[in-house]
Amino acid sequence: MAFPTLHRLAAALGAVALAAAAHAQDIKLGFNGDLSASPSAQSGQAAVLGMQAAIEDINAAGGVLGRKLTLVVRDDTSAPPKSIQNMIDLIDNEKVVAVFGPTNSGNAMAWKHIPNQKKVPVIGNVASGTDITKPMSPDADNYMFRVSMVDRYQIAALMAYAKKNPASKVVGLMAETTGYGSGGLKDMQEIAELQGIKPAAVERFAVGDTDMTSQLAKLKAANVDTVVVWAQGTPIAQLMRSMEKINYFPAVLSSWAADNITFFDAAGKTLAEKPLFMRTVSESNTPVQQKLYDRIGSKLKAPSSFSFALHGYDSVQIAAAAIRQAGSTDGAAIRAALEDLKTPVNGLLKTYDKPFSKTQREALTAKDLVWIKWKDGKLVPYSDAVITGLTAADFKQ
Amino acid sequence: MSQALLQALVSGLAVGGAYALVALGFSITFTTTKTLNFSHGEFVSAGAFIGMSVLFLVLGKPLTSTTFGADVPGGGGQLLALIGALGVMGLLGWLLYALGVRPFAGRPGMAWVMSTLGFGVILQSIGLAIWGPKPVVVPGPAGDEVIRLAGIGVRPQEILMLGVAVVTMIVFDRVMRSTMLGKAMRAVAHNPANASLMGINVNALMVGAFVFSSALAGLSGFLLAPIAQASLFMGLAVGLKGFSGAMIGGLNNPRGCVIGGFALGVLESMVNLWQAQWRDVAIFVLVILVLAFKPTGLFGGKLVEKV
Repeated sequence: MAFPTLHRLAAALGAVALAAAAHAQDIKLGFNGDLSASPSAQSGQAAVLGMQAAIEDINAAGGVLGRKLTLVVRDDTSAPPKSIQNMIDLIDNEKVVAVFGPTNSGNAMAWKHIPNQKKVPVIGNVASGTDITKPMSPDADNYMFRVSMVDRYQIAALMAYAKKNPASKVVGLMAETTGYGSGGLKDMQEIAELQGIKPAAVERFAVGDTDMTSQLAKLKAANVDTVVVWAQGTPIAQLMRSMEKINYFPAVLSSWAADNITFFDAAGKTLAEKPLFMRTVSESNTPVQQKLYDRIGSKLKAPSSFSFALHGYDSVQIAAAAIRQAGSTDGAAIRAALEDLKTPVNGLLKTYDKPFSKTQREALTAKDLVWIKWKDGKLVPYSDAVITGLTAADFKQ
Repeated sequence: MSQALLQALVSGLAVGGAYALVALGFSITFTTTKTLNFSHGEFVSAGAFIGMSVLFLVLGKPLTSTTFGADVPGGGGQLLALIGALGVMGLLGWLLYALGVRPFAGRPGMAWVMSTLGFGVILQSIGLAIWGPKPVVVPGPAGDEVIRLAGIGVRPQEILMLGVAVVTMIVFDRVMRSTMLGKAMRAVAHNPANASLMGINVNALMVGAFVFSSALAGLSGFLLAPIAQASLFMGLAVGLKGFSGAMIGGLNNPRGCVIGGFALGVLESMVNLWQAQWRDVAIFVLVILVLAFKPTGLFGGKLVEKV
């Protein structure tokens, strides 16, 4: 009895060893971002779904360098310490060749020194904070890339709109007191100055506030007719509800967080249709986008989060192209390849022709963005005389 | 500008109502058991989600839904939800006392701090597993149309919150001051050993205090959900502000706690009229100042800590 058991054990061990060896040949990609804790988690979940779809497609077509791609997913529950820990774990223990995410801009700021030191490229596909992709020091090799929205591009466009709109005579700024809000406020103030806009009022509110009537009363007293808001979906909704309370409705230009279904739900249909904002895509999908939507749409928490799945899909395709070009999984080689991609990458959002360079870190730029408003519960492209009249010279950043 | 002030006052009172209910909850367990439920905030969230679940069930939706869509539950459903929130939270309060406080109360050390905190973490994790982090917009029993009075706007739910908070305080105050139950509670608060010798069932009263305090958390969650949206994180800020209100008013004086809660709400709203980014700084500087000069709060009685 003892002998066959031993035999079987040896066979089993051998199989495990083989599996481990096969596994070791896979190219591991990591995702580190919030998947469960903050209201933005649904964006992270959507990005992971998109990444998984891209990996399936790449593997079905033979993988990269003859090896399969796998995804190691780590939830940072939106907490910076957890996000830092995940980053170290993904790079040192899991030996991933590139990291994607995070969901929250503040977490990227908390760990961006780590991938830069360990020379592992990061391609952000959710968080939009402007400073995330800046190099650690002016001449240092930069391992941060992004296929997502960028706060500063949006703000440049919103400010150009405010400047060009003949109905906007007095501009006010509002932001939530989180890292997201303060980062956006800094960009707003800088670009307002570039545009020669003097904000008549600058007001802040906490992310959990339910009543902003006091702040709005000050804007009203300053005769503000256009307010630019930087906050997450729910507080923007509370702001709209507070406007309704005091019956004061200036034109609202907002951060793209207004695309979140939580904003629509909380503001209600009428109020939700007021803010004008920007996105990388509307809900009118192109055929290739629709194909991905048909595959993963049922798993999305909200249809509006599909844009992140597109970012996720394209970010993996770009990474795969860079690994192919580098011919290795060495971080520095992949970074160099990303900065000089020889062949265009066919993504779902667009064809990426030399998306990155030593200084250009954003695959999606101002001209890829679309103006959006809510209409009957859907995110639809918006246009008016001001938007059609905007030229490249109007965008100052 | 006077209109803005009036608006700030009304808005502040509405927010203060939630703080006051939470502050009262802290006061009740503190006066009777000398312990606090450190996860009172999570209990507020839990109350909101239980109320919401009952509404889902009444509408025939699955418990794990995350949106009401266009469905608006009727008055009967809302009443059922209120009873559900009060009942389940009361039961949770009893559980908390039996499992998390009683075994440690009166012993040296602060084990009950950890166990009440842990209870909150468990509740939140269960909630996250069921509903996820997305906030849910909950329809209020009185609708959502802005009511305009003398140029200021307020939502029906805010008036309801304020009204229910005031009525609850008055009823509680009457019970404490003019019924046998109130007398017994005050006796236990004053000296549990003596109260026990007088034939008062001290243990039952302590259980009662936790049940009532948790039911209050459930009530504030239920009322707050249509204003702030039901979210598993909604209770954290309310819990902290409610506790601050209780500290300002005096933890061992229920009336003081209620006043402290309302005052804090109004103060926040007034600071917003000035510089909203300094609001939390202003609030907590005030709390520290009050405690520095009146360690037991503005209306608190003298506290003798026996070591």
